[in-house]
Amino acid sequence: MTVRKTPSLAVLAGAAVLVTLAACDGKSDTAGATADGGPIKVSASDTACEVSATTAGAGNVTFEITNKGTKVTEFYLYAEGDRIMGEVENIAPGLNRRLIVEVADAGKYQTACKPGMAGAGIRGDFTVTGGVAKQNDANAQKAQATKSYADYIANNTAALEEETAKFAGLVKTGKVDEAKAAYARTRVYYERIEPVAEKFGDLDPAIDVREADLEPGQKFTGFHRLEKDLFVSGPQADTPQIADKLLTDVKDLVAKSKTLELTALDLANGAKGLLDEVATGKITGEEETFSHTDLWDFQANLDGSKGAITSLRPILQAKDAALTSTLDKEFANVQGLLDKQRVGDGFKLYTDLSQDQVKEFASAVDALSEPLSKVAEVVSK
Amino acid sequence: MLFSSALIGLREGLEAALVVSILVAFLVKTDRRHALRWVWPGVGAAVLLSVAVGAILTYTTAQLSFEHQELLGGSLSIVAVVFVTAMIFWMRKASKSIAAELRGKMDDALDVGPAAVLLLSFLAVGREGLETAVFFYSAVQTAQSDTVQPLIGFAVGILASVVLAWLLYKGAVRFNLGKFFTITGVLLVFVAAGVLGYGLHDLQEAAFLPGIGTLAFDASATLPETSWYGALLKGIFNYSQQTTVLQAIAWVAYVVIVLPLFLKPSKKTAPVPAAAAASKE
Ligand SMILES: [Cu+2]
Repeated sequence: MTVRKTPSLAVLAGAAVLVTLAACDGKSDTAGATADGGPIKVSASDTACEVSATTAGAGNVTFEITNKGTKVTEFYLYAEGDRIMGEVENIAPGLNRRLIVEVADAGKYQTACKPGMAGAGIRGDFTVTGGVAKQNDANAQKAQATKSYADYIANNTAALEEETAKFAGLVKTGKVDEAKAAYARTRVYYERIEPVAEKFGDLDPAIDVREADLEPGQKFTGFHRLEKDLFVSGPQADTPQIADKLLTDVKDLVAKSKTLELTALDLANGAKGLLDEVATGKITGEEETFSHTDLWDFQANLDGSKGAITSLRPILQAKDAALTSTLDKEFANVQGLLDKQRVGDGFKLYTDLSQDQVKEFASAVDALSEPLSKVAEVVSK
Repeated sequence: MLFSSALIGLREGLEAALVVSILVAFLVKTDRRHALRWVWPGVGAAVLLSVAVGAILTYTTAQLSFEHQELLGGSLSIVAVVFVTAMIFWMRKASKSIAAELRGKMDDALDVGPAAVLLLSFLAVGREGLETAVFFYSAVQTAQSDTVQPLIGFAVGILASVVLAWLLYKGAVRFNLGKFFTITGVLLVFVAAGVLGYGLHDLQEAAFLPGIGTLAFDASATLPETSWYGALLKGIFNYSQQTTVLQAIAWVAYVVIVLPLFLKPSKKTAPVPAAAAASKE
């Protein structure tokens, strides 16, 4: 009896595999013939393989194969590179067999009947559309979204540090005209990642506070202080110090942003927050009171919002395709209006806009803001 | 129609019946009939499980994903290889103690573990039973609306496989112990090699192992699985008309390693040390 110990353990292991596999598949109860309007009929003969539909939505695809030939046949669904997605073997003449295949990704596939169970089979093209992700991938998708957005942030913070260093250098060496030209360009990187900057308590005010918003006792520092010095009052005695402090603060921000852990909900709220920024600061011309370069910021806020939505796109597409297309349309609309105001590689000054143009911007931003405000809810579902 | 269905039945039935009939013949020949009562529960459990799984797969919408089906089939095959191999060497060892027994030395220490007999018969039947059950249900369902021919053919095939297995058993029982042992042992080595190859092929189909497209040979024109001789070969040795390189290498490696070990002349030590070694384990 002791002799038998090892093999029985092996069988127990085998049985465990069986149980585990059966258990983890229990979820797919929804795998039904009803997916996408009933099974796809496959009529197999010794010389033909007629498939009643050559497209299906992603998810569970059901085939019902009837062997009308005289040879035993097989049916396969192949992905690219002849990777087997599913198969039914040994379909005797006169029999029906059903095959349910889980296809998660949209793309090109091939169906094949193999009369006599031999050879490459009689192939046909099959297209899967939609790419509805598996339900249990929701967390993986969210992780992917935040990772993708973290990359976006990293790219912009790197550029921000570099451009701020150049800008501060120009300010300190008194090259006012060059500094003025660099001002709006540098801020673009900051405005794109503003929701992230706002996560670090005092850094955002130190870098981006507007003179009108100063609290009693608060020192006027950051971009807008330098904006005033460059565009209105001319360099002051402490201007170089302000420039140094701006660079220090930006470096601090860049370092801290690397440790930031964002959630998918943060992305959704950030995308909305950036549009609110546009509505409350840029469309009113309050943000850049001295330089009037509000449209640069406007574009940057829009970019940042779009960046977050792009990262969330697979989740949104799966959960609310209609909302995704509305967002696409409204983003394009706002972008179209901005493009009309382009001058060279920049934009018209805010003060050159007509009242009608400002109104047009405001209503386009409102129209985008509305679907954007729904994103958080969809993502958290 | 009838013929091709019968071939499938024959093939699936043989795969299951072969190992069981050899096990039964061995137990009978070595006067271990008391262990037979462990064979039938194993077979019965496998049949019941297969029927239950077949019914569930057919009548509910729950379905194993393709990878899982193949992973399960492949893993069970490889476990079966381990078992059949163990059986081959257990028979070899036990047959020696039988010789001693004839000299009047009863050896209870080497008695067959009931669990092993039960599990081996369970595995031999259960491995193919799952696939067969699905086929069977589909045949029954189609037969109701369409034609009973496939169902009849299938039943004929299974019956034929049982008859063949019975003949094999009869023939095996007629041999003397030494001859029986050598013939069935060699047969089992090839059976196990085929099962190993088959299991690896399943794992390749599930993309768990690479190389599904790398064929060693394709004999589907000259020796098709759908011919009666192809079906017999597949039923007995798990012959595959399209054999991948990995499958072929595994088959050859298994035969080259196990067959010489099995045929190696046994040392004249026999019962006492063997029994001692066994009880020390
Ligand atoms: Cu701002």
